[in-house]
Amino acid sequence: MISIVVVSHSRALGDAAVGLASEMVDETSRPLIKVAAGLDETSFGTDASAVAEAISEVDSPDGILLLLDLGSAVLSAEMALEFLAPEVASRVTVSSAPLVEGLVAAVVTAATGADMDTVVAEARQGLAAKQAHLADEPPAASSPGLTPDADTPHVKLMVHNEHGLHARPAAKLVALVRSYDVRVHLTNLDTGRGPIDARSLSRVATLDARQGSTLLAQVTGREADAALAALRQFADDGIGDTAQPVASGTQPPMAAGSGLDVAVGPARCLATDVDVGGYEPGQPEVELGRSGTALSQVRETLVAVRGRTEAEVGPDEASIFDAHLALLDDPEVLEPVATAISSGASAPGAWSDVLGPLAGEFESLADSYQRARAQDVRSVERRLLLALTGRQDETSVGRDAGPPVVLVLPEIDAGTAAAIDPTEVAGVVTLAGGATGHGVIVAKSRGLAIYTDAGEAGARVRNRDVVAFDAAARRLVVNPDDEETAQFRALAVRRQRLRDEAMTVATSSAVTRDGTSVHVVANVGSVREALAAVSHGAEGSGLVRTEVLFGELRAAPGADEQLDSFLALSEALGGRPMTIRTWDVGGDKPLAFLPLSVEANPFLGQRGLRVFRTRPDLLVEQLTAVCRLAAVSPARVMFPMVTTRAEVDWALERLQEAAAATGGAVPDGLEVGVMIEVPAAALRVADLSRGLDFVSIGTNDLTQYTVAAERGNAAVAQLADAFDPAVLRLVRTVCDEVAATTAVAVCGDLASDLDGAALLLGLGVRELSTVGPAVALVKQRVRQLDLQDVRRVAADAVAASSADEVRSLLRTAFATQA
Amino acid sequence: MAVDVRGLTGWLRAFADSISEHAAELTQLDAAIGDADHGTNMKRGMQAVTTMLDDSEFETADALLKKVGMTLVSSVGGASGPLYGTFFLRAGTALADTTEIDAADFGAALRAGVEGMVARGKAELGDKTLYDAWAPALTAYDDAGADGDLGAALAAAAAAAARGRDETTPMVARKGRASYLGERSAGHQDPGATSTTLLLESAAASLG
Repeated sequence: MISIVVVSHSRALGDAAVGLASEMVDETSRPLIKVAAGLDETSFGTDASAVAEAISEVDSPDGILLLLDLGSAVLSAEMALEFLAPEVASRVTVSSAPLVEGLVAAVVTAATGADMDTVVAEARQGLAAKQAHLADEPPAASSPGLTPDADTPHVKLMVHNEHGLHARPAAKLVALVRSYDVRVHLTNLDTGRGPIDARSLSRVATLDARQGSTLLAQVTGREADAALAALRQFADDGIGDTAQPVASGTQPPMAAGSGLDVAVGPARCLATDVDVGGYEPGQPEVELGRSGTALSQVRETLVAVRGRTEAEVGPDEASIFDAHLALLDDPEVLEPVATAISSGASAPGAWSDVLGPLAGEFESLADSYQRARAQDVRSVERRLLLALTGRQDETSVGRDAGPPVVLVLPEIDAGTAAAIDPTEVAGVVTLAGGATGHGVIVAKSRGLAIYTDAGEAGARVRNRDVVAFDAAARRLVVNPDDEETAQFRALAVRRQRLRDEAMTVATSSAVTRDGTSVHVVANVGSVREALAAVSHGAEGSGLVRTEVLFGELRAAPGADEQLDSFLALSEALGGRPMTIRTWDVGGDKPLAFLPLSVEANPFLGQRGLRVFRTRPDLLVEQLTAVCRLAAVSPARVMFPMVTTRAEVDWALERLQEAAAATGGAVPDGLEVGVMIEVPAAALRVADLSRGLDFVSIGTNDLTQYTVAAERGNAAVAQLADAFDPAVLRLVRTVCDEVAATTAVAVCGDLASDLDGAALLLGLGVRELSTVGPAVALVKQRVRQLDLQDVRRVAADAVAASSADEVRSLLRTAFATQA
Repeated sequence: MAVDVRGLTGWLRAFADSISEHAAELTQLDAAIGDADHGTNMKRGMQAVTTMLDDSEFETADALLKKVGMTLVSSVGGASGPLYGTFFLRAGTALADTTEIDAADFGAALRAGVEGMVARGKAELGDKTLYDAWAPALTAYDDAGADGDLGAALAAAAAAAARGRDETTPMVARKGRASYLGERSAGHQDPGATSTTLLLESAAASLG
C-alpha cells in the first residue's frame, strides 16, 4: 500500500486534516500517514529536513504521496527530495491536490490498495464534487470581480466590542482577510451599509459597525474555506479585542515627559495643513515615483515611531500606528491615488483628493471612536505631503537654542504626540479635538504637559507670544507677566519636588500632622495597574473594576476563572486588601456576555446592581468567587448603583446564596459595603448602610446625578464638577450620619485630586482610593495636613456658592502645598 | 586577500546582526505584498545560525556553509528557508575542501548558490524576487573581481544588488505570495531582494 506525508505550515492543521481523513476508513486498512508540519507545535513554517525524515519513516515500495498546503511547503517538499537517497526519492510523488480534499480522497483510495497513479488522480479530483455542487468557477490564483450572491459561503460576525469595530480590531480583520487568497465582502446587516471589500481598512471602517451590529462576511476565492474558518475563529475570539493579560507582570517603561502638567514657553503655532504651494509636478511617471518614495519614507517613519512608542509607552499605544500603516497598504486608497496620478494629477494633489474625503467620511460617522479615525487619516496625509514637498515636520524641529517651546496645534495626532521631544517642547496646547483622542492618550502616557480644547483663547495665540498653563487646574495664560511666569515656574518646581519627596516615602503610611491615619488605596482594573499602584505606595485596592478586568470576555467568566484573576490581582497587590466591586454595567456600556436593551436614558436606566435583578445567577457566580477569595486573602465586596434598602437586602441575600454555594456562611473576614452614587442613597445612608462594614462614595456618578449633567456631554460638562458645593454637602451628610459606625471611603476622581483629597478628609472621609500614579502624592499631601485646618476649609467649601469659589478657597488654603 | 573559515564566520555573524537590525523593515516590506513574515523568519533563522556558530567548530568552508544551509532550512519556516538554505548548501559544495578562498573561488560559490536557488524557486529576471538583486550582483562581481580583488568585487556586487533591489519596486510580482496581488504588487520593494542586498553588504563589509 502507498503511504502519505502531509506537509503543512501548521502542525494543528496537518494533524486535524489527517484526523478527518482517517475517519473515512477502517483502521486496519488505513495507509501510513505522517505529518511534517510547523517549526514546532505552535510556530508556523515548513522544514525540508523534517519532510525528508517523515518520508523515510513511512517509506513504502509502493510509493509515498506528498500532499502540501501552500507556499514554502512546495519548496520544502522539493528540497526534501534532494536530501533523500535517490532510490527513496524516486518513489515519492508530490501532488498539487488541495490538502484536505486531496487527503481524504487519497486515504480512501489508498485503503482499497490502489496504485500510486490511481491515488494521485483521485486526490487531484478532490475538488470536483464541491465544484459540481456549487457550480462555481474552477479555482484560480485570484478571483477579482466576484460579487457575492445569496449562495456565497458566508459567516456572520457579531460585534461585541465596546467601541464597535474600531481601528485596531478593524486592522486585525483586514490583516486576516488579506492573509488569504479570497475576496471577502462585508455588509452591516443592521444599517445595510455595504457590501464592501474587506481588504480595505477604510471601507471596513465606513461600515459604521458599532457594538451589537451584525456583519455578514461573504467569502469567495481559492482559500475561502480557510478564510471562513479564520473569520469564525476571529469572531469567537472577540473580534480582535482580547482580554487584558491578567497575569502579565511587566510594567511599561517610565514616560519621557515630566508628568507635571505645567508648561511655560514661547508659543510655536502650527497649522496642521502642509503648504504645497511651491510644489512643481512632473510627468505622471515622475509623480508616481515620488509618490512611491514618499510612501516608503512615511512607512519607514511610522514603523520607527511604532517601535519607539512600544518601547517607551506600551503595546496598546503603539498599536495605534498599525492603523496608520494599514492605510498605506489599503488598495482602496492606493488605487485611486495611482489612477489620479496616471491621469495627470500631482502626487500631493492625488493624495489629498483621496485622503481628504476619506477623513470627511469618518467625521460623518455617528460613533465618536470611529470619528477619531479621521484624525488618523489626516495625520497620514500630513506625513505624506511633508515627505512629498520635502518640508520638515515643524513639530520635531529643534528649538534654535532657545527655551523649550509650547506647541499650539489645531489638534494632535498620535504620530505627532509620539515624536515630540520633551527637551524641546515644554507643553502642547490643542485648540480642539477633545481629551480622549489617540494623540492626547499618547501625549499623556508619555508624561507630556497637554492642555486640550483651548478653543478661542488658544486660537488667538501667535508665534512669539509666551504661553503658560497648568493642565491640572485648567489654567491657561497668554503672555503672563513676570509674576505669573514666576508662579508657573514655581508650580512646576514644587510639583517636581513634591513628587520626588512623595516617591521616596511612598510606602510609608499616610498620617496627618495631628496623628489621624488615612488609608490610601488605588482603583485598579488589571494586574498591570495593581503593580504600578503598589510601586506608588498603595495600601491595597479600594476599587477593583470587575467589568474592566473581565470586560473583554465574550462569555461570562465562571467563579473559578474570576477567582484566578482575583488571586492574580491579590498577588500583584502583595496580599494587601482589595475591594471587589460587583459588575458595574449599564445600557450605556453593556458587557459582551450581557447584552442589554437600548434605553432612551441609559444613565437613569438599568445600571449597576439594577441590571442583576433579572440575572441574579451572574451576580451569585461572581459573589461565589468573592467568598472563596475572602477565605484566603483580605477582601471586601461592594455593590454599585444602590438606591434603596430593599436593593441592599436583595444583594445581601445573593451573597448568602453564594456563600451557601461555597459550602458555608459568608467568610468572617469579608467586609461588605455599598457604593454611594445616587443622591437618594446619600440622603438615606444611615438606613442603607445598617449592618454593613463600609460605604464608598463614587463622586463621579454622584456629581452627575446631583447636577443632572453628563460629563461626556461637552455642552453641559462644566456643570458636572465634583467641587460643586451641592456634591460636597452630600459627602458631608454621608460622613456625618455614618462615619462613627461605618467606614467611609471615596473612590471617585475627587480623591485623586490633591486639594480634593484634603477637602474629603475635612468632610470626614478616612479612605481615599485614587488612580495608581496619584497614590504617593495623595499620601504625601495627607502627611502635610492638620485635621483642624481641613475641617475649617471643608466647612467654608460646603457653604460656598460655586465650584470655582471652592477651588479658589482651596488654592488659598493650600497655596504652599501645591 | 584570501578568506578562511574564520572570515566566513565573521560574515555570517555580520549578516545575522544586519538581519536582526532590519527585521522590522523586512517584515514591513513583506506585509505590503506578502505575508508579513520575512523579517521574523530570517531573524529566527539567522539567530539559529548564530547559536549554531557559538556551539560548533568547522575545519572547512564546505562544512560550515552546509551546516548554515541546513540550519536555515530547519528554522526559517517560510519560503526563504529552502531558498537561502539551498544557496548556502550549494555554495558550500562549490567550496569543497577549500580553506583559503580567493576572489574567484568565492565568486564561483556565490554563482553555484544562486543557480541552486533559482532552480529551486524557478524564478526569472523581473519576477520581483531575490534573483533580481542577485543577477546584477553576480555580473558586477565578475566584472570588478577579474583582477582578483575580493574586496572590490564584493563592494561592486553589493552596490549592484542595491540597485537591483530598488528596481524591484515598480515590478509586478510573478512568484510567491506577492503574485496573488497582481498589479497591486507594483510600487513595493521586494523583501527577498532587500535581504539579499543585506547579505552582500555584510560580505563587502566583513570580507572586503
